Amino acid sequence: METSVIQVQNVSKTFGALRAVDNLSFEVPEKTCFGFLGPNGAGKTTMMKMLYARALRDAGRDSRIDVFGYDPAGQELHIKYLSGVVPQEDNLDEELNVIQNLLLFARFYNMPPAKARQRAEELLDFLELTEKKTSQIRNLSGGMKRRLVIARALLNQPRLLILDEPTTGLDPQVRHVIWDKLRQLKKQGTTLLLTTHYMEEAFALCDTILILHQGQKVLQGSPKELLAEYIEQYVLELTDSETDPDTLRNRLPARVRIDASGQTIRFYSNDIEALKSVADQLPVGQYYLRQSNLEDVFLKTTGRTLNEKQ
Amino acid sequence: MKSNDPILYPPLGHRLFSVWYRHMRVYTQHLVSNGFPPFLEPLIFLAGIGLGLGQYITEDIGGRSYIEFLAIGLLVTASMWTASFECTFGTFIRLEFQKVYDGMLAAPITANDLIIGEIFWAGSKGFFFSFAVLTVMCAVSAFGNVIVPLPQALSAPVIGFFNGMMFATLGLLVTSYVKTINHFNFFMTGLISPMFFFSGVVFEIDRLPKNIQPIAEIVPLTHSVRLMRSICGDASTLLMNVWDVLYIVVFTLVVGYFAVRRLKKRLIS
Repeated sequence: METSVIQVQNVSKTFGALRAVDNLSFEVPEKTCFGFLGPNGAGKTTMMKMLYARALRDAGRDSRIDVFGYDPAGQELHIKYLSGVVPQEDNLDEELNVIQNLLLFARFYNMPPAKARQRAEELLDFLELTEKKTSQIRNLSGGMKRRLVIARALLNQPRLLILDEPTTGLDPQVRHVIWDKLRQLKKQGTTLLLTTHYMEEAFALCDTILILHQGQKVLQGSPKELLAEYIEQYVLELTDSETDPDTLRNRLPARVRIDASGQTIRFYSNDIEALKSVADQLPVGQYYLRQSNLEDVFLKTTGRTLNEKQ
Repeated sequence: MKSNDPILYPPLGHRLFSVWYRHMRVYTQHLVSNGFPPFLEPLIFLAGIGLGLGQYITEDIGGRSYIEFLAIGLLVTASMWTASFECTFGTFIRLEFQKVYDGMLAAPITANDLIIGEIFWAGSKGFFFSFAVLTVMCAVSAFGNVIVPLPQALSAPVIGFFNGMMFATLGLLVTSYVKTINHFNFFMTGLISPMFFFSGVVFEIDRLPKNIQPIAEIVPLTHSVRLMRSICGDASTLLMNVWDVLYIVVFTLVVGYFAVRRLKKRLIS
């Protein structure tokens, strides 16, 4: 049987009248990547913070969090010693240069200076920052800062790496480099837990995805399972449509689902021929026929409209 | 899944030290620009008030010339200013703007470690600032009139350390209430500045109106200044010394307790 690094049972978190996390349960098996997917305000960050005692869960008799066999309420130091955290916002010490940032943080782990230096050099090499070793933080690009924060989280060779939106706001090149590094870490045996709202990111990295919406678990499974079980295989997308969805709805072939929002109309089906027959009735260039992806699952389960927290 | 190897997270002493070390390391990175003002400020004050305004004050204060009276007070106030700034504006910037604590709390330290480490750091800055003033005073004494009693004044950094810790707890308590950084102006102008003028630094508190004197007894600076003066040989009673020491200890512990408790709620939701 696989061992679980994280076990969460019936955990809730309330801020005043707001239930940020609502009776959530999940397990993260060792050496896998587990992803929280959800719109802003879904409770992803709060759930993560509860794992390393940055937020306290609501008291409840059957509520339980277990990370490496330790409860964050009371044994946070054990958990923090074994884990690395990459927070949502970069928070490097601007006064210090790249390597000084790492060496200073190594102090928190009581790491001997010689070992800290060796480890810092290794990590700069791993994250392709060696050339920037003595650069000032303000001269780093967003992607470099992000990689440095990841390096900092890896100083103590954590067995669990917690990443809160690791690639938000970064360009595609940097994102791919970071994904590559995270996959290498997983291969080396690190368990990864991340939040994201990028579907490609979840698809590229995660073994298991948990879709959160308004603090509740909506779906959980591997990316492939979610695609197979919750969404039709193909999508025909019609943008800038002047057509009234209701007239289209009336002459829709069987086994085609229509989903209209704003100016965009999407037709979903497992039968590509059926979608082609719909497309044939449309002016060329207005439509786009593609395979469905995680984003379609996500939007189907969490809704297309914005809520008050977004 | 319980880990088999013992978890060797750093012990309490080291955790506090690492917080202190973080602040020290970042502060000393710009040692010249950060370390210069504490040496210059007392010089300006001594010249402007002590030498300039002091010419008109011919009366002795408890057997001391005015400049000497003022110099002893300044040994202590420097630590008040630095600790107050450090634990209000400094802490708030680290908390809200730089998000430094988000990083630190991901490491194996607790929120309590972080806040108490911060208090020790502010105490150390108090030590350093009082030391800087002392250095200036000694230099002035060596070249001109002796303005601080030696060797008694050499204890100033120690008083500065405890005074710094005391004002750190007060600053942190205020910070725990503050929503926007501008609110600190009320604290600085409304509490710290008046304390500087009315706690026996620039003139004796028994020159204050009779009904205001008890207020001077309530505020913290009065006690560390009076203790410093006692060490420097000014007339005092043992009872008064005990009261001053007791005040500093109890204030630091009680205000510190509430500061830690309230600020922790801000760090851990």
